[in-house]
Amino acid sequence: MVLAALALARHSQAGQEPVPVALERRLAERLGAWAGDTIRVALEAGGAGQLVVVAAVYEPTPDPASVTRRDLTLRFHLPDLAALLGTPDRVNRFGIVLHPGVSPDDAAGDLNRVAFGFRAAPSAAIAGESSQTFRVVSRFHSAIAIIAVGASAIFLLCIMLLKVEERRRDAAVMRFIGVRPRTIFVALLLEALLVAGLGSVIGVLLAAAAAAMTNWYYQGLFDTALTFASITPGILRFSILVSLVLGVGAGALAARRLVRTNPHVLWGRG
Amino acid sequence: MTWWRNLLRHPLRSALAVAGITVTTAMLLDMVLLGGGLERSFERLLLGRGYQIRVSPSGTLPFDTETTIPGAAALRLGLEADPEVTGVAPVLGASVFARAGDTLVAVFAYGIDPEVQAIYQPLSGSDLAAGDSLGVLLSAPAAARLGMAPGDTLVLVGRLDPQLATAAIERRLVVRGVARLLYDSRGQLSLVALLPVVQSLAGLREEDRVSAFVVRARSDDQADAVTARLRSAHPGIEVNSVTDMVRHFRERLVYFRQLSYILGSISLVVTVLLVTTLMTITVNERLGEIATLRAIGVSRATVVRSVMLEGATLTVVGGGLGIVLGLATARYLDAILTTFPGLPAAISFFVPEPDRLLLAGVVLFLAGVGAGVYPAIIAARAPIADTLRAEAT
Repeated sequence: MVLAALALARHSQAGQEPVPVALERRLAERLGAWAGDTIRVALEAGGAGQLVVVAAVYEPTPDPASVTRRDLTLRFHLPDLAALLGTPDRVNRFGIVLHPGVSPDDAAGDLNRVAFGFRAAPSAAIAGESSQTFRVVSRFHSAIAIIAVGASAIFLLCIMLLKVEERRRDAAVMRFIGVRPRTIFVALLLEALLVAGLGSVIGVLLAAAAAAMTNWYYQGLFDTALTFASITPGILRFSILVSLVLGVGAGALAARRLVRTNPHVLWGRG
Repeated sequence: MTWWRNLLRHPLRSALAVAGITVTTAMLLDMVLLGGGLERSFERLLLGRGYQIRVSPSGTLPFDTETTIPGAAALRLGLEADPEVTGVAPVLGASVFARAGDTLVAVFAYGIDPEVQAIYQPLSGSDLAAGDSLGVLLSAPAAARLGMAPGDTLVLVGRLDPQLATAAIERRLVVRGVARLLYDSRGQLSLVALLPVVQSLAGLREEDRVSAFVVRARSDDQADAVTARLRSAHPGIEVNSVTDMVRHFRERLVYFRQLSYILGSISLVVTVLLVTTLMTITVNERLGEIATLRAIGVSRATVVRSVMLEGATLTVVGGGLGIVLGLATARYLDAILTTFPGLPAAISFFVPEPDRLLLAGVVLFLAGVGAGVYPAIIAARAPIADTLRAEAT
C-alpha cells in the first residue's frame, strides 16, 4: 500500500493514456467528477502529473481517527501510483495473511529478527496504538462525567431535602393524630423513590434525545456515518442506579431528620 | 446582616447549596478555560519565535503530510523579495535511523538553517553554527534513548533497502547540544541538523525539497497583508498566517469547543436552578416573617435586597470555592488531554488567564443574582394581610 498527498484538477483534453482510479464520494462531489470523467493528478499544484479516469466512486469505511481531518482519498492501482510518485517498487506497508493457527505475535517476532528497514507488528498491536486517541478522549469523558455526577448528586440531595422539608406540617399533623414515625418515614421514602424513578425515566428520555441530536449534528458536520453518542445498556443501568440510590438516600436522610424532630417544632410552635 | 442570619438558619440546606454551586462553578470554569485555552496555547506556540506566517505544500498544513516543496532555495528568494518579509526559515522533516549499538533507532530529523531557525531552543551544549554540516542537536528524549551527550559521535543512516539490507547513505555527526523541540510531542525522538544534511539523508537534496517555510513579517499588524501578497505571488503553495492556522486548528478541534459551550451552559442552568429553587422554598417558608416586616414598615426594596443578597452570597461563596476546585480539576483534565498522541508537548487545553477567570466569575455572579429575582418578586408581592391571617390560623 502506498499513501501520498496529491493535487487534483478537472481535465478536458485528451492525449495521454489515463489510468483508472476510484474516488471517494466526498471527493467526487467536491470535484463534480463521476465515473468516466478524466482528471489530472499531480504531486504539486500546477505540476504536469498524470491523467486518470474515474472508474468508480466509493463510500469509504467511516474512520474515527481521521474524521476531523476531513482527508479526501482516491485509490490507484499500486504500480500507477508508484509511477506517478517516481518511486517504483516502494510501498508504505504490507498486509500479511497468516496460515490458520499461526500466532501473529510469533510471526511478527520472526520477521523482526531479520528486519532491516521495516518493522512487523500484529494488527491487534497497531489497532491498540491507533486507538490511543480514543482512549484519551474516553478518559477525559470519564473525568468530566465524575464532575457531572458529583454536581448532580449534590443537586439531587438538595432538592430531596427541600422536598421532604416541605412536608413538615403534614408530618406534624400525622404525628398529632397518632401515626407512627416509622410509617411516616416509609411513606416519605416511597415518595422519594417515586420522584427518583420518575426523574430517571425523564432523564433517560432526555439523554436519548440529546444523543440523537448529537449524532444528527456531527454526522452532518463531518459528512460521515459514524456514531458519536450512544446509550449502551451499561450506561443506562449505571445512570438509573446512581439516580435511584442518590434519590432514595437523600430522601431517607431528610425523612430521618423529619421524624426525629418534635411535632410541635414541625408545626412551628416548638 | 439579616440575609446572612437567614442563610445560617438552615445550615445543611445552605451547605448543600454552596457545595452544588462549587461543583457547577468548577465545571463552568473548566469549560470556559477549555473553550479558548487551546487556541491561545496554539497561537502562542506558533508565535513563540516571532514568525507569523507558514508556507507549506499546496492543500496541506505544515507537517500534516509527507509532501514536500521542491526548489527551496529559489522559493526562499521569492518569499524574501517581499519588502515586509524580514526572515524566511526553511524546515525539512524526515524519518532517519540512528545507530545505537547493533540496532537502528527511528528518529525524526529536522533540517534547518541555524541563522533563521524557528523550531527549537537550545537547552545544553552549544547551538548549531551556520555551515556546521558535521553538527547535530538532539531532543532530550533522543539523547536519553541513544545515550548521547554533547561531544559524542552519532551515526545516522537513511533510505534503508530491506532487500539488500543496506543503507543508501550514512553520516557521522557530532552532538553539539540538547535542544527543546517546540513542536515535538512528549517523548518524541528528534534531532536537528543543517538542511542539506537532512536532505541528503532523506534523498531530497537533488530537488532541494523542504517540508515548510516559516516567515517573519516586519510587524504583526502586517502579517495578514503579507500573507495575502505571498499567496497571490506563489499560487502553487499554501500560505497561512497564524490566524489562518488557528482557524484550521479550531475546525479540527471543534468538538472540544462545542463540548465546552454545552457543558458550560448546563453548569450555569444547574446553578440558576439550584439557587432559585432554594431561595423560592426559603422565601415561601418565611412569608409570614416577611409579611410582618412589611406590616411594621420595612420597604419592599429592603425585602427584595435581602432575598437577592442571600442568593448572591450563596453564589459568591460557592463560586469562590468553585474557582479553586475548577483550577485543580483543570490541571487534572489537562494532564489527561495532553497525552494525545502526536500533540506538541507545549500545547495546553486549559489555560488559566485572568480575563477567562474574570469572565467565568462575572457570568456566575450575574447568574446568581438573576436566580434570586424570582424569589425576590414572590417576597415583594406577598399580600400582607392575607399572609398574616394564614399564619395566625
